[in-house]
Amino acid sequence: MRKIYKVAEREFNETVRTRTFLISLLLIPIIIGGILLFGDKLAPRKDAPRPPVRVRVAGPSRELSQKIETVFQEYNQAHPLGSISLSVVSTPDERIEEQGKEDLRSDELDALAVMEGDLEGQGGAIRIFTHKPKPSQVDALGTVERLLRDAVIDRRYETRGLDRKVLEGIWNIPIRWAELGEGQGQERAQGQGQRMARMMVPFAFMYLIFLGIVGMGQHMISSIIEEKNSRIIEVLLSAVSPFELMTGKIAGLAAVGLAVTALWGAAAYGAARWQGIQIDIGAGLLVYGLVYYILGFVLFSAILAGVGSVCNTIKETQSLMMPIMLVFIIPMVVWPRLAQEPNGELARVLSYVPPTTPMVMVLRLSSGTDIWPGEVVLSILALIAGVLAALWAAAKVFRTGILLYGKRPGAREILRWLREG
Amino acid sequence: MDAIELDSVCKSFGPVRAVDGLSVHVPQGCVYGFLGPNGAGKTTTLRMIMDIIRPDSGSIQLFGDPASARARDRVGYMPEERGLYRKMTVTAVLNYFGSLKGLPAGRLKAKVPEWLQRVDLAEHAGKKVEELSRGMHQKLQFVVTVINDPDLVILDEPFSGLDPVNQDMLREIISGLRREGKTILFSTHVMHEAERLCDFIVLIDRGEVVVNGTLDQIRARHEANTISIELEGDADFVRALPMVQAVKPDGRRLDVRLRDQADSQDLLRALVERARVRVFEIRQPTLHEIFVRLVGGDHAKDL
Repeated sequence: MRKIYKVAEREFNETVRTRTFLISLLLIPIIIGGILLFGDKLAPRKDAPRPPVRVRVAGPSRELSQKIETVFQEYNQAHPLGSISLSVVSTPDERIEEQGKEDLRSDELDALAVMEGDLEGQGGAIRIFTHKPKPSQVDALGTVERLLRDAVIDRRYETRGLDRKVLEGIWNIPIRWAELGEGQGQERAQGQGQRMARMMVPFAFMYLIFLGIVGMGQHMISSIIEEKNSRIIEVLLSAVSPFELMTGKIAGLAAVGLAVTALWGAAAYGAARWQGIQIDIGAGLLVYGLVYYILGFVLFSAILAGVGSVCNTIKETQSLMMPIMLVFIIPMVVWPRLAQEPNGELARVLSYVPPTTPMVMVLRLSSGTDIWPGEVVLSILALIAGVLAALWAAAKVFRTGILLYGKRPGAREILRWLREG
Repeated sequence: MDAIELDSVCKSFGPVRAVDGLSVHVPQGCVYGFLGPNGAGKTTTLRMIMDIIRPDSGSIQLFGDPASARARDRVGYMPEERGLYRKMTVTAVLNYFGSLKGLPAGRLKAKVPEWLQRVDLAEHAGKKVEELSRGMHQKLQFVVTVINDPDLVILDEPFSGLDPVNQDMLREIISGLRREGKTILFSTHVMHEAERLCDFIVLIDRGEVVVNGTLDQIRARHEANTISIELEGDADFVRALPMVQAVKPDGRRLDVRLRDQADSQDLLRALVERARVRVFEIRQPTLHEIFVRLVGGDHAKDL
């Protein structure tokens, strides 16, 4: 036990001191913070200069074409940088449509809108043609659609004798969301973004667990490869047993992961509070999160210890890591489904697959849905069984693999170690 | 009570029999040489003594204790494949391995500077291992091995890769440890090192003991059959003498190897009859010669 502690202590101290660790520790909050702070700036700007879009409208009545021209004129005045050049051909004619399509193909036109039927009355339709639109125009083409719609609606008011101002007055209902604080009079206005962020809370919890397990687990590989490459293993094994060495490493890295996850979690919680999002984290969730995290970490890092022990270079480990990562990443891929149905079939099944248990269960527990306590107990038992199996196999592979240099042993040989060991 | 007792120890790796019924007893307080050509099973045996790998059958005892893991804290082991954490400082490395070996922090505080002083590394105590020169690295590696003040020191090919200065230092330290009553077991395929340092020697080949005993015993058992002679005049007739197996010119002398059972005095008589004998010297066989004779053939070049 004392030796395991010594190994863990060194593992913790040395990992915390590496540059990769510091970068990964800071990088993730910086990226997330950056997205929050600069997200607005990165979104497409409405007033960015862009090449004019050439639009031809075919077949509106005289009154409608007037409306259309007014609407586009107003738009161009409001957006001098992204003007839309409009030409209207009033006569509905097959030939004009064909001519327009021809012009589209020869790139003299960007969009052709053909008015059909009784648009000013009730039926009718607008057909819009394009030919290989440039990605930079997609936004503007959407604007064209909106402007045409506005013009038609305007014209429809007129034909029915309705006053637009009155209608706008009827439509306009201001809605203001606010979140109550605990005390009286504590209220905070809430935007839509903040309500969206709330929906992300369970995902954030799951992501935290995922990063803590998979991100920190990677240190196991580099630690073992370093000891193998610098030929330290045998010196170590003269003082500690392979099992002590492996468990010490797992314990040390788990402690690092726990510290980092707590730090990230606290930072995320602080950021959420700062943004006015209240998150209820019950003591229960914290305790379960801790249990699931530790078990999940032991599972993942035990598997990685086995992988690392049979490889000589980081590169060699990568091909072995692929299938393992695919399993651990499942919850990250299917999470929208899990968040929607925390008690659904998929969520229930994945709760008992040891590699996915910690992430899925934390997601479900933080989703605010009631989970039958028996499920928690059962999933923890399933996870413990998985952890024990992984430790058993990893210890056997580790014991033999760690002394091997040169060619990586094949699957058959590793199976033999498992049988004999 | 012997420091190490191996009794009919066997170990196979797949189809390869690395160690085959090996029995060796290493008495306390001696320097024991573990010799053999490459692939003879030396490293495997040492690893089994350190409980790094487990034997398929047979028993291994350290200081009369069958659970060698428990006795391991009394042992210092320097493997053939050796290295240290490159990013840690000299002091940190020694503290770590010392504490793994069960040395309390208080003892370490005294021991670490003492050893660094002894091998001239005191001024590099705060440096990272990767900043050390190769020679300093080798010294540090040795200090790591003995930092826990072990009663038994096991060294696997300790002289390989050492520069001459460090070879001398290592020899001195081994002699020093022996004076303190420690037991030292080291493997090597450099015969003259073994001849210089060892009280006992065991030669293994293909996992089996070929010869075992003190240096004098081994020498006595393998009577000299090489004679160095110098004659006046033509010496071609020597090759044709019935008791001579082979003749190898050695400068002005000839190295004559006798057939088994042949008597050196017969050779002398035969020589005196045919020529004037200037030198007639019955040579004590060196370990090297004994082992070449025992292991023979294809392995001899490894020795």
